[in-house]
Amino acid sequence: MNISEIAELTAMNSASFRDEVHAALPGAPSVIEIDLSQTRFVDSSGLGALFALYRATAERNGVVLRLLNPRPEIQQLLELTQMQQLFEIVQR
Amino acid sequence: MPHRLLQPARPATLRLAFAPNAASSRAVAEAIRVFLAEQGVPEKELFSYELCIAEASNNAIEYAIGPGRDLQPVAEALFTPDQIELRVTDHTAGFVLPDRIAPPSPLGDRGRGLFIIQSVMDEVRYLRGTRENILIMRKRRRANLAPAAAPKPETASGLSLEESQRQLTESKSARASLAGELSFRSETLGAIFRCCAELGRSDALSSDFGKRLLVDLFHLTTADWCVLRLLSPDNRTLVVAAASESEMASEPLALPLAGEPPHGIEATAAATQTAARFDLSEESHRTEPLRSIGPNATGLVCPLVFGGSLVGTIAVGRRDGDFPLGKLQDEVVRIFAEFLAIQTVNLRHHKAEVRQRVVTRELEIAQEIQHLLLPRTLPQLESFGLAGGWQSAREVGGDFYDALAVGDRSLFLMVADVMGKGVPAALFAATMRGLLRGLAARSDDPAKILSGLNRLLYAELSAVNMFITAQVVHVDLVTRQITAASAGHCPPLYVPPGRHTVVAMPTHGLPIGVMPNTNYVSETAFLGEPATLLLHTDGLTDTRNPAGKLFGQKRLMGWLSANAIAGHSAAELRDRLTTELNRFRGSAAMDDDQAFLLLTEAHVDASPSADTGHPRLQFQSGSFLLPANA
Repeated sequence: MNISEIAELTAMNSASFRDEVHAALPGAPSVIEIDLSQTRFVDSSGLGALFALYRATAERNGVVLRLLNPRPEIQQLLELTQMQQLFEIVQR
Repeated sequence: MPHRLLQPARPATLRLAFAPNAASSRAVAEAIRVFLAEQGVPEKELFSYELCIAEASNNAIEYAIGPGRDLQPVAEALFTPDQIELRVTDHTAGFVLPDRIAPPSPLGDRGRGLFIIQSVMDEVRYLRGTRENILIMRKRRRANLAPAAAPKPETASGLSLEESQRQLTESKSARASLAGELSFRSETLGAIFRCCAELGRSDALSSDFGKRLLVDLFHLTTADWCVLRLLSPDNRTLVVAAASESEMASEPLALPLAGEPPHGIEATAAATQTAARFDLSEESHRTEPLRSIGPNATGLVCPLVFGGSLVGTIAVGRRDGDFPLGKLQDEVVRIFAEFLAIQTVNLRHHKAEVRQRVVTRELEIAQEIQHLLLPRTLPQLESFGLAGGWQSAREVGGDFYDALAVGDRSLFLMVADVMGKGVPAALFAATMRGLLRGLAARSDDPAKILSGLNRLLYAELSAVNMFITAQVVHVDLVTRQITAASAGHCPPLYVPPGRHTVVAMPTHGLPIGVMPNTNYVSETAFLGEPATLLLHTDGLTDTRNPAGKLFGQKRLMGWLSANAIAGHSAAELRDRLTTELNRFRGSAAMDDDQAFLLLTEAHVDASPSADTGHPRLQFQSGSFLLPANA
C-alpha cells in the first residue's frame, strides 16, 4: 500500500488522511509506505495522524510503516518529536 | 532625544485576525510564511516560523472556551533584520508555560505543539490576561546580530510592548506573592491570638488546647505531623503535651545529664537550645526516636526557651521527604515556639498564683466559719460569770467552745477540738455546734448528747479520717450540780464545795468519730462557793516554754486554785489565764490551738440570788464576755 501526493499534513487534512489510511487497513497490507516527497508542510496535527496510523497497525505484527523521502525540515521535525523511532524513514 | 535617531525604522509587521477554524488557521500560517519570505527570510527558515504560527493558532482554536470560541484569534509577525517575533493572541483559559517543556513521548498524542515551538524558537513567553492571552515567540537571527545592542522596537515610553507587559506581569506576580506572604503572616498572627484566647480560658495546656494548636500549625505550615513536649517539673525529661498521632505520645524523653551527649534530635535541640532541621532518611538518624513518624520524615525541631531557660520542644514536619517545609513555614514554627514558651511560663505562674489564691481563700473561708463558731455573746448570768478564751496556732484552728442556756436554771458548756484543719475542720465544728443545740433541747445528760453526736457524725468523720474530742458539761445553777461527759477530751477542772483547791472530774470516753456506737458515761459533782469551773482543750496543758517544758495539768490546776479564790470576774480570770499561758510559752512557738471556757461566781455574798437560792438567767446581748481573740 502506498500513499503519496500529500501536499501537506496539517490540522486541515489530518482527519481525512486518517480516514483514508484506516479504510485501507482491512486489506491487511504487509507494508504501508507514505511518500512525503511532495509534502511541503506538516504540523503537530499531521504528526498526530501519523501516530494514529502507527497505533492502528501496531497490533498487527509484521506490518512495516515506511516514510519515504521527507524533506530535510520535515525529517528534522520527525527527529525532534522522536517520531522517527516509530517509522522506517527511507530516502530513495 | 538624540539616541532615537540611531534606531531603525519600526519593524515590518503583519497582523492577521482570523476566523476560529482550521482552514483560517492554515491560511494565516501560510500568509505569514509569505510575509517573512518577502522580508528576505531564507526558505530553509520559513518552515519553522510557519510551523510555530500553525501550532499556536491551532491551540488558540482548539482550547477556546465559552464566548471566546466566537472571538477571532490574532496572529502577528514582526520582522527586524536581527529578530523575528511571532505572536498569537488567544481567547482560551490560558495555561502555565513551563520554562522548558520535556520532550513528549513518541507514543503520546499530546503536548507536541508547545514542545515544537520551544524547540524551534529562542525565546517563548506567554502573557496571560483576563480575556485574552498572548503567546510570544522570538527568534534571533545570527546573520544580523553584528550591530551589537540592536535596539528593540519601542513604544512611546521607550519600552517595547512585550517588555512593558512582561514588567507588568512580573510586578503583578511580585504583588501576588507579597499578598500571599502578608496573608500567611496575618494567619499566623490570627492563630497566635486564638491560642492566647484559648490559654486565657483554660488553666492548663489541655488536650483541647493541644488540638487547637495542631490544627493551626498544620493549616499554616501544611505539615502532617507535630509533637509538643514540655519540660517536666524535675527538669529531667521532656514529656509529650500534644501530638498529632497517638503513637507519637511516647515515653518521656530523657535529657542528657551534665557531660553526657544528648540522644536524638529533640533532646539535642533542647540541650543546645538550638532549632534544627532534619531528614530522617539520612544515615545518621538510624536510631532516632522520631523515626516512629516514618523513615523518610523531614521537619524542624524548635526548642521552647524563655529567659534563657528551656521550657520544651516542638517538632513539626512532613512524613514524605519529597516535600520538606519551606522557609516561611520554618519561620512560623519558630514564631510559634517563641510564643508557646512565653505562654507556658505565663501559665505556670498563673497556676501557682491561682493555687496560692485558692489556699488563701480557703483559709479566709475557714476563718470566717470559725469566727461564726465562737459565740459572739455568752449567756449573761445574774450571779455567775462566763468567759471564753481562744488562741490559734495556725490560720485556722480546730478548737472551739460554746455555752447554751437551757430553760431558766441550767447551762450546757462545751469545749471541743476537731482533729484537722482548714475548711473541713471548720465545717465539722459548725455542724457539731448546730447538732449540740438540737440535742441539748432533748436531754440534760451530756453522755446522751455525746452519744448522739457520735451517731450523727461518725460516718462523715470516719470517711475523712477525722475525729473530734469534746467535753460537755451540764450545770444546774440552782443545785450547783455539774454533770460531765468526755469524748477523749481532757477533764473539766472545778473547785468542790468546802475546798480551796481545784480537782479534775474523772471523765473518760472515746473521741467522736472513732467507733460507730460509743456509749458515753456521765460523771456528776457539785460546785463549791464561789463556783469555779474550767473546760479546756489540751492546747493549754500542752503549752511548752522555750526549754521544752510542758505547762501541764498540775500547773494549770495550781494556777486556777491560786486565782479562783481571788474573786476575779470570769473575764478577768480569762485574761489572766491567757496572760499566764503566753508568759509561760515565752518566745517558744505556739504548737497547738487553745480554747477554754470559764464559769465563775464573783461576788457570792453580794449576789441577790443568795437570797432566793434561785439565780435567774438573763439573756442580754452585752459584749463584755466576748472571746479573748475577738
